[in-house]
Amino acid sequence: MDFYIGLMQVIGVHTLLGLSAWCVLHTGQVSLAQGGFFAIGAYGAGMLTAMAGWPLGGALAAAALLSGLVAVTVGFPALRVKGLMLVVATTAFAEIVRLVFFNLKWQVQTPQGPVGPDGGLGFGGIRYFPAHAWSGLEVLALIWSLVAAVMLTLWWLDRSRVGTLWRAVGEDEVAAQSAGINLTIAKVSAFGIGGVIAGLAGGLFSHNTTHIEHGNFTILLATFAIAYPILGGLKSLAGTLVAVVFIQGLLIEGLRFLGDWRSLLFGALILAVMLVRPGGVLAAPLQWPTNRRKPASGTAVPQERTGHA
Amino acid sequence: MLELQNVARHFGGIKAVDGIDLTVHQGEILGLIGPNGSGKSTTVNLIAGLYKPTSGRVRFLQEDVTELQPHERAERGMARTFQNIRLFSQLSVWQNLWAARVVRESGWAGLRARWFASAAQGREQAEQMLEFCGLQGKRDLLAGNLAFGEQRRLELARAAISGAPLLLLDEPAAGMNAEEIDDLDQRIRTLRSQGRTILLIEHHMELVMGVSDRVVVLNFGRKIAEGLPHEVQQDPQVQAAYLGADEDDELAQTALRA
Repeated sequence: MDFYIGLMQVIGVHTLLGLSAWCVLHTGQVSLAQGGFFAIGAYGAGMLTAMAGWPLGGALAAAALLSGLVAVTVGFPALRVKGLMLVVATTAFAEIVRLVFFNLKWQVQTPQGPVGPDGGLGFGGIRYFPAHAWSGLEVLALIWSLVAAVMLTLWWLDRSRVGTLWRAVGEDEVAAQSAGINLTIAKVSAFGIGGVIAGLAGGLFSHNTTHIEHGNFTILLATFAIAYPILGGLKSLAGTLVAVVFIQGLLIEGLRFLGDWRSLLFGALILAVMLVRPGGVLAAPLQWPTNRRKPASGTAVPQERTGHA
Repeated sequence: MLELQNVARHFGGIKAVDGIDLTVHQGEILGLIGPNGSGKSTTVNLIAGLYKPTSGRVRFLQEDVTELQPHERAERGMARTFQNIRLFSQLSVWQNLWAARVVRESGWAGLRARWFASAAQGREQAEQMLEFCGLQGKRDLLAGNLAFGEQRRLELARAAISGAPLLLLDEPAAGMNAEEIDDLDQRIRTLRSQGRTILLIEHHMELVMGVSDRVVVLNFGRKIAEGLPHEVQQDPQVQAAYLGADEDDELAQTALRA
């Protein structure tokens, strides 16, 4: 039973991580920085409860906010580039964050001994849940109520004008800016909200595992973060959830006996989905374009010569 | 209303636009024509802000907008269509219009209106525009799944919904049949009767000569003629540009009058 509770907790945390990437992907940007924001949330919230003695709610909120602020700060310069350059820039950012925590040594004395990030040895003793006698089920309930809250908020955002503008920017940046949409604000807002969600996920992660280290926040985590919404499809939030259940539940846990071969399967799975269902597993049924004609530039030449088509 | 002052745009050694002066007056339909590669599209992009001029100034509504971004110019009151349709193809017809509402309030009110406004007024505008482009029955279809002519109409409506006093139409008739062009002609006149000023960049002579109040002709990035449609048609330089200097004059006349 504990195994399933643990698995459901992981799925909840990873759903939040996937939703953070979902926001950014909406504006047509591919960001590998989500693992970095996740790390900031994990370390930030952990330090606040374990070292400063904050209550959990305050620590989670503060860590999420911090993550969002970092995202906005990084977003302004980073989102000036797009495509592959943005992938490079955000990967670099995530690595910088990881290396900062790899080198961060800052401990305080508590009755239970020294607590705090200890460089490469990681940051243990984030024992808020055990210390306050939370059961696994209670932690699970907390995680999933936050997942529900975030999903509802994003669902509402997506239906509001914000979602329309994000999608418009993701569709065609030139048309969007000519229609009066400020690209910077649209992209940075999506990046910032994604940062908040990733930070929240990180805070839940560190409290749930009680021990974190820089190795938790490698590029693999960022790959998972964008794989969920891509596999699930950007059309719906539920797609991200389904993809997390599939990857974490079936692929990672269900096929544990396959060992490292699972990574191979993960790659094959992404390829297969891109080939068979380019819009994601939960995308609308394939629709064929009904354009009778394409605006061919070649047709303009005879018109110009003869005066009419 | 709009004024280009000696505007030039060079791409490397190519002088796409080589110092043109252009004035669009309030309430007129100005036709901008010229052979392929004469700099028409570059001119539109310079006006809309997608390109920055190599030299020269762009003034719009008594303000120098040369250094402004495209969305800032859109906020000041210009909207455009594209030569090769650029709709938000995975968004519905309604969302295409909804996304293009331009909000002119600033500060907190502007932020609310821009990002969250339910804005009964905005919905009403969008409804009017649906009617204008005749797509009321297709409001929830994806824009990418519309027929070609419908996509053109929607793009025109998307430009018009901003309420922009100046509309830049970049070859709106490209790929249209005669019937659709008549329809477009009517829509352009309707927009003008609502007080819009229109800069019409077009290859289709019949449409331009019929609907424009004035016509400007570009060739090799320079303005070679300007005037009333029939004056421009008579202009020997224009005829030469369209048919080559050695061609028979009579043939040129026929072509331009068509």
